[in-house]
Amino acid sequence: MFICWVLLAAVLPGKSDSLVDFDHDVMPVLTKAGCNVGACHGAAIGRGGFKLSLYGSNPAADYRTIALELKGRRVNLLEPEQSLVIMKPTEAMEHEGGVRIDPGSDSAETVIRWIREGALRSHDGSRPVFKSLEISPASVVADDFDQDVTLKAIAHFSDGSSRDVTRLTVFTPEDPGALSIDSKTADVHVRRRGRHIVIARYLRAVKAIEIIAPFSRQVSAEPVDAPDSFIDTSVNRLLKKIGIPASGQLDDEAFLRRASLDLTGRLPDGQDLRWFLADDERIRRTNLIDRLLASEAFTEYWTLKLAKLLRIHGKPGNERGAEKYHRWLEQQIAENAGYHTIAMSLLTATGDTEQVGPANFYRMVGGPREQAEFTSELFMGSRLRCANCHDHPLDHWTQDDYHGLAAIFAKVRQEPIVRVVDDGQVINPRTGKNAVARIPGERYLDDDHGALQAFARWMVSEDNPYFAKAIVNRLWKSMMGRGLVEPADDLRSTNPATHPDLLQELARDFAEHGYDLRHTLKKIATSDAYGRRSEVSGGNATGGQYYSRHLRKPLEPEVLADAISDVLEIPEIYGQYPAGSRAVKLINPQVESQTLDVLGRCAREESCETSVAAGNTGGLSLKLHLFNGPILNQRIASPKGRLSRLIAAGETNEAIVQSFYRAALSRSVSDDERKFWNEQINGSGDQRRALLEDFVWSLLTCQEFVTNH
Amino acid sequence: MNDQWVSFPRIKRATVLRDLIADESRHRLDFNRRGLVRVGGLTALGLGLGDYFRIQRIAAAGESETSIGKPKAKSCILIWLDGGPSHLETFDPKPEAPLEVRGPLDSIATAIPGIRFSECLPSTAAMLDRISVIRSMTSPLGEHNFGTHYLMTGYKPTPVLEYPGYGAVLSQLNGRVGVLPSNIAVPDFKVGGSRLTGSGYLPPETRPFSVGSDPSKPGFAVRDLDFYNGLDLNRLDRRRRFVESLNNFEERKSKAGETSSDPDLERAFRLIASTDAKRAFELNEEPAATRQKYGTRTLGQSCLLARRLVERGVPFVTVNHKGWDTHENLTTRLKDGFAGARVSVGLVPSLDLALAALIEDLEQTGLLSETLVVVMGEFGRTPKLNTRGGRDHWPRVFSVMLAGGGVTPGLVLGSSDAVGESPRTRPVTPSDLAATIYTLLGIDPRREFKTDDGRPVSIAPHQAEVISELIA
Repeated sequence: MFICWVLLAAVLPGKSDSLVDFDHDVMPVLTKAGCNVGACHGAAIGRGGFKLSLYGSNPAADYRTIALELKGRRVNLLEPEQSLVIMKPTEAMEHEGGVRIDPGSDSAETVIRWIREGALRSHDGSRPVFKSLEISPASVVADDFDQDVTLKAIAHFSDGSSRDVTRLTVFTPEDPGALSIDSKTADVHVRRRGRHIVIARYLRAVKAIEIIAPFSRQVSAEPVDAPDSFIDTSVNRLLKKIGIPASGQLDDEAFLRRASLDLTGRLPDGQDLRWFLADDERIRRTNLIDRLLASEAFTEYWTLKLAKLLRIHGKPGNERGAEKYHRWLEQQIAENAGYHTIAMSLLTATGDTEQVGPANFYRMVGGPREQAEFTSELFMGSRLRCANCHDHPLDHWTQDDYHGLAAIFAKVRQEPIVRVVDDGQVINPRTGKNAVARIPGERYLDDDHGALQAFARWMVSEDNPYFAKAIVNRLWKSMMGRGLVEPADDLRSTNPATHPDLLQELARDFAEHGYDLRHTLKKIATSDAYGRRSEVSGGNATGGQYYSRHLRKPLEPEVLADAISDVLEIPEIYGQYPAGSRAVKLINPQVESQTLDVLGRCAREESCETSVAAGNTGGLSLKLHLFNGPILNQRIASPKGRLSRLIAAGETNEAIVQSFYRAALSRSVSDDERKFWNEQINGSGDQRRALLEDFVWSLLTCQEFVTNH
Repeated sequence: MNDQWVSFPRIKRATVLRDLIADESRHRLDFNRRGLVRVGGLTALGLGLGDYFRIQRIAAAGESETSIGKPKAKSCILIWLDGGPSHLETFDPKPEAPLEVRGPLDSIATAIPGIRFSECLPSTAAMLDRISVIRSMTSPLGEHNFGTHYLMTGYKPTPVLEYPGYGAVLSQLNGRVGVLPSNIAVPDFKVGGSRLTGSGYLPPETRPFSVGSDPSKPGFAVRDLDFYNGLDLNRLDRRRRFVESLNNFEERKSKAGETSSDPDLERAFRLIASTDAKRAFELNEEPAATRQKYGTRTLGQSCLLARRLVERGVPFVTVNHKGWDTHENLTTRLKDGFAGARVSVGLVPSLDLALAALIEDLEQTGLLSETLVVVMGEFGRTPKLNTRGGRDHWPRVFSVMLAGGGVTPGLVLGSSDAVGESPRTRPVTPSDLAATIYTLLGIDPRREFKTDDGRPVSIAPHQAEVISELIA
């Protein structure tokens, strides 16, 4: 290698004398100057009559535009300095975008030299092709907070050569408040402690670089090695690396509430508590997890969770299909079917949607492109959507991937009787022709007829790097309050996981254990990371996303509605469903219910993960409704229910308070609280009743009740 | 009072302002004279929202002053004619055209010689020298959802991103001050097939707060503002205090980790507790003659409510009036009307009464100069009548009315061709309109927000051009 360089050096007297290449030299200059971003010439319609491909994804087209379009008037071969393509960005001519390239800079020189040399796409027919980008270091722990980190970008080419392209690489911090980067030297200055990401872009390659500025160098963290749990090994390692102490373990009663809500969507009742406490302390939690995973409530709750993911809802006229679909899913969960089996059934099921539950998979969104977006978000945690109109700027998805996947679904008739047919095409706007069926990111499928089967087989195979990761990331998020990758439907190399090794290992372990949802949930639920207290301890207030403490989760609308009913001992009525129906068991996500509306349920017509209505995020209307609407008031004032029952039984105020604390918060009232309520609730008859009602209302509105913590 | 503030250096004003906001949340202000004093700390103390935006921009981003000049509009009432109003039967009649284009309605002269309006808009026609109309709006989108998204946000819809509406942008920028919500929809925000949330990629709390019922109905009341049977303010206050105590117990336990305060609960309580803010919704306070003047139907009473909200400092009110998708029977739907109809009928006279009364009232209280009034729908209607005596969707040319808030009065901008089919002069896109509305409200249309996934998006599209003729 060294000899090669010496030889080259002999042939080419100096680096500056090598010829300028359009693709490898000029394109990066334009990208670095921001010419081809979406807000400027990279917009779909260009800008000021000059259109470039977004982030330079299409050098051939950009070459035509710059060198050949308008009879070549953008380049002036006689007087290169007078070329439009250099006068505009240096603002020698009026340019709406202002000065993008400094006159006299290396960048300006590169463009001018390229024109002087003939403005050719390439000087050598067998020019090496750019292969990959390497950034060093790829991950940094900046030990000294004030110390700058210098990044270096190396491009590798098809002939085995490589070249330092640091100057031509665009480095963008994910959070500009945390890092500042000198665009000329690639020096990164860390401005805030924590874990930060820098995105590097050269030509079509994008890389994410992790930069960690530890919070503290001496952390009395827990032992890093956790031989029986790869979860704790990974989580503890990062905590130590980043310098954040972990909160301690939750007490048993609080653990019971947390695990019951996470695995079954229900508050524990007295019976649950007795069983739990009767167990040997050492195996108490594991036994609880096993019991919860085996319960009917688990099946009901996780059917709801997956139904939201699958967006199961009945379009008018297809209510029966939706019900069949829901029942089928429930059966899969009850029988603990492998997730790959479930996915395979969904992708390949055909027939009458009122008879064949999984065939309804093709009835939840309309059209092959929508089906492609839905399917990739669901099973790959990937957003192909951007690639409808242009190649994805932050990922490797191309328009051919997007329309190729849509072409597979174009053969599926998304009708009451789902079937696969021979005709059915979508147009790829890039070519203006019928899109060719394609497994995104992989390969074209020649056999149109078997394309769907081939795609489905690939989807659940271990060749697919996304399938297992997408679901384990969601399971993790459901239990831990945050995905290892956030948003959970946006897995890509430029949006790296907080714990890449852990995501990898969870996915591998999940696949190895037959894609068993319960297996992975148990792994998570029995880890120390899951069992941590949610309270801040030892200055770990900022480290929640590294699981130094458990993250609080708002209760889902259905779970909260059921919890309210359980505490008050009066069921809520949902549309035509029989009295006493639990909200988590409702099949129709749009059943008439003011309660679920104000709590912010997801109608499942669009993704429930990105839907703004997901989760009870509060809002003025909800709080007005809590104060003055029937959701709480009606049942609190009812002559039936827990409150009236306890009053009628002659219970003391203290006993009543205790009973509600147990039911709602799954704990005993503390001494401070007992004292407070004794002072507050002092009256008799109607006045006492009113005070108790106000107590119950506040209990059902307070943060401790409406969250899982 | 205003002058006093003007002499402060800008940054100082930002500091003062922050203190005022904090103050306002602690004290209840009393008001006696309708129309003169505004609730919501800023305006009550003589500081307009326009100033506030500018201060925010400077204080937050360190940006330089934009070149848009001093904005006049502090609030905006958008009268949304849902379904797509016919331009030919409102602001752009074609009396010379053949019958199948001209349609069944006559036209009348306006305050501006040579300009004619539909015969159903006599009061509005008489005040054309004080309002302004664009007759050359043009869009390619003739489907309700798409057109609504385009007109309400300035952006054509894309599957990738829902853009925020005007009220949400205002709400995001002004930080939701005051007791009343800063973005209110009357009676609701179910527009264009109701797929639009209104907040787009902005946080959900910027969405329009729907009053939830029809102000023209005898028992009109905003949902959940009145006490539930058996409750009173004392008990709600006690409940609120109990919640606070419970949250505090937990906070103490958790050693001040995540905050346990509940700002929405406080906002809700303040609204319920503020008889003064709630009075905004008490249409019965208006003299019978005033209520009559606006017209007793939904549109009129909604506009009356909008006026009362704007008087109390609410920055953005959408009056959403349904029924303008008039595919058949223009005479009945647009002109005559009859009692007990199943669809909205007599639409244009309703609009005329409501609009004229609103403009007149705002003029009288001096609020028109700082209140932007916009009347529009998602598109116009086909130049030729269809076989059912109606008109179908037609986005290629249509009209929009603007008034007050710094809009050039008496301007009829652009024109359509002889049959109202295409723009003839000065075509204006909904993006241009958006940039203009934002400019009038003191918001730089090129200012950027970041979406959740970090994509920078400007408030109005980059290619949008402010309609300078419209700005007085």
